[in-house]
Amino acid sequence: MKPDGRTPVVVVTGFLGSGKTTLVNELLKEERDSLVIVNEFGDVPVDHALVENSTEAAVALPNGCLCCHVRGDLEEALMGAAMRRRRGEIAGFDRVIVETSGLADPGPVAQTLYSDHALTRDFKLGPIVTVVDAADPEARKASLGIARSQIAAADVVVLSKADRAKDFAPVEAEIRALNPAVECIPARFGKVEAKRLLDAKPGTDQVFSAAAHDSAIRSFSMRFEQPVLKALLQHFLATLVELRGKDLLRVKGVVPVEEGLVLVQGVRHVFDRLRPVAKGEAALVFITNGVEQREVEALWHAMKGLS
Amino acid sequence: MFLNMKLLAQHTLNGFGGMGEGMSMQLARDGRRVLWLAHESAPKNFTAVDVSDPRSPQVIVQTDLAHAQMRSNSLEVAGDLMAVAYQVTKFGLKPAGFELFDIAKPEKPRSISFFDASGPHSRGCHQLWFVDGKTVHMACADPELKPRNPKDDQIYRIVDVANPAKPVAVGRWHLPGTMESDDAPPPERLPAKFDAGFRAHNTNVYPERPDRCYLAYIDGGVMVIDISDRARPKMISRWTNSPPYNGFNHTALPFFGKGLLVVSDESVKDNAADHPKLVWLIDARDEKHLVSISTLPMPPVDSFRNRGGRFGAHNLHENTPVPGAWRSEDIVLGTFFNGGVRAYDVSDPYSPREIAYFVPPTPENSKTGAAQLNDVFVDDRGIVFTVDRGGGGLYCLEMKV
Repeated sequence: MKPDGRTPVVVVTGFLGSGKTTLVNELLKEERDSLVIVNEFGDVPVDHALVENSTEAAVALPNGCLCCHVRGDLEEALMGAAMRRRRGEIAGFDRVIVETSGLADPGPVAQTLYSDHALTRDFKLGPIVTVVDAADPEARKASLGIARSQIAAADVVVLSKADRAKDFAPVEAEIRALNPAVECIPARFGKVEAKRLLDAKPGTDQVFSAAAHDSAIRSFSMRFEQPVLKALLQHFLATLVELRGKDLLRVKGVVPVEEGLVLVQGVRHVFDRLRPVAKGEAALVFITNGVEQREVEALWHAMKGLS
Repeated sequence: MFLNMKLLAQHTLNGFGGMGEGMSMQLARDGRRVLWLAHESAPKNFTAVDVSDPRSPQVIVQTDLAHAQMRSNSLEVAGDLMAVAYQVTKFGLKPAGFELFDIAKPEKPRSISFFDASGPHSRGCHQLWFVDGKTVHMACADPELKPRNPKDDQIYRIVDVANPAKPVAVGRWHLPGTMESDDAPPPERLPAKFDAGFRAHNTNVYPERPDRCYLAYIDGGVMVIDISDRARPKMISRWTNSPPYNGFNHTALPFFGKGLLVVSDESVKDNAADHPKLVWLIDARDEKHLVSISTLPMPPVDSFRNRGGRFGAHNLHENTPVPGAWRSEDIVLGTFFNGGVRAYDVSDPYSPREIAYFVPPTPENSKTGAAQLNDVFVDDRGIVFTVDRGGGGLYCLEMKV
């Protein structure tokens, strides 16, 4: 397996007041060797030596679609940190933690790391951690679209303010309707075992069937029993992106190809290149805006049949 | 400074933490992992450290040199035998050569024999390779030869130690033109400020090709040597980078599966005055035609040259073919003096990438003002051991890639 020395970028997202900064501050108590990038307008300070501010300035990608943006500020911050680390001006860090603002869609962070090839020499997308207020579901309704995109993007969800929540069932149901396989971890005062968050894979370890819910968001997984042609997989993903890219809120998973397993990761029109991975359940998870499982599977089977 | 490497422990070796370029692991009969380390200079000869728990290394024995005008610098362990190189500071001094020890009881190394290479034109042995328990391949002077230039005294020598009590010299090779007895003209020397000699440094021989020595020859480049007839080694090919570079080729490490040679220079001037000192990847699929294809990316020289002491390439983890050693053809680890220990992904040899490094803080009582990491050995648990030339001793590291 090709060694990978890239530094993971952990994204901590969540709605306004959900407890992101509390969580980040708690994480930093266990994991000091982290570089933190926070929104400069954050109202709670992050208490750490290596803190960078960001403006969350989004820049449209040159592919022309309206839904895809990269975070220009994040590119600059990460590139600058890599350069300073290389010159020995900062001690080093094992990971980057990006805390987004409450109203930010985490998608552009992922798109930044997938699309900037210079950046991906030094960094890779780590887990997206979404903090969800377990005690106040009403708060999310102020901007439901953003809250849902944050949950849909999550590799792991932290249920914050667990001390004040009487019953986790409703909030877990809300989360699983959008992102059925995601692990939900209750936290009191931001206290969570750091490893559980940081080791969460940006792929999937679970497959599931489409969940029924009332929004347009669809979540489903596609299994791969046999190795597939890598070129066919690439054509399939490219076609899917061409036809419905803006509605692919998150695609992730592991697919067996001729030479082994590859990791698939994408947000809307922007996909990381297929990277070799040692292990993982052979399945792709789709979280989409209105794209149905049968449509995706029909496309796959049609292309496979013709190949 | 670090990337994907974590310090597990540092041991300053009882205050004698100035270490040379001999690091070899013994899997002791009682199950311990013992790391044997050669010192850079007097008064200490070698130190054995129990690194079974790399978070808590323990010194188990530390020995003295015979006098202060010598150094051990290099050693190798094969089973319960250890060979230790002895180099003297002035021609003619003794002991110059190597000593064999029985280390079955690591606490009590027992001298078995001494191979004498002293003479009026000899500084003895600078480096040796001893992995099969039967043969020592070394960079050592031969008293029978008189170099035209005193800097060229150490040649490639083969010594049979199948009977450890009676080492027998069986072969030698030197660059034609460097000895008084040669017909060939003397080689053109590098400018005086970089002239380090046309002499052997590392002499690597692997079980995959027991008939080849991968020889680094300081200012003479690196050579592939046919040793199928040990009495008459023959040069198959030679690759040089100097001039225009500034000499001191140190190690030629073969990756047989990839058809590569990994060649390191050694930086020998403070403040990077001899920059660039690099690690080169050589296409060696055809051993007669060696082609340089890339170098390992170094940190920016302007950020390191004035940190103190040397900055640039030096030793590599050499995939030593002995039990307990880690072997990889995808990752190269090397030491770069104040640039620390660094690991590179060479799975695409045309585009090597840095994937990990560790630069320790300046050791206490450092004379140079910065760490000077000198050598590296990785064991089969993936633990990276590196030593400081100036006083920092031993660092045990975990690499996460």
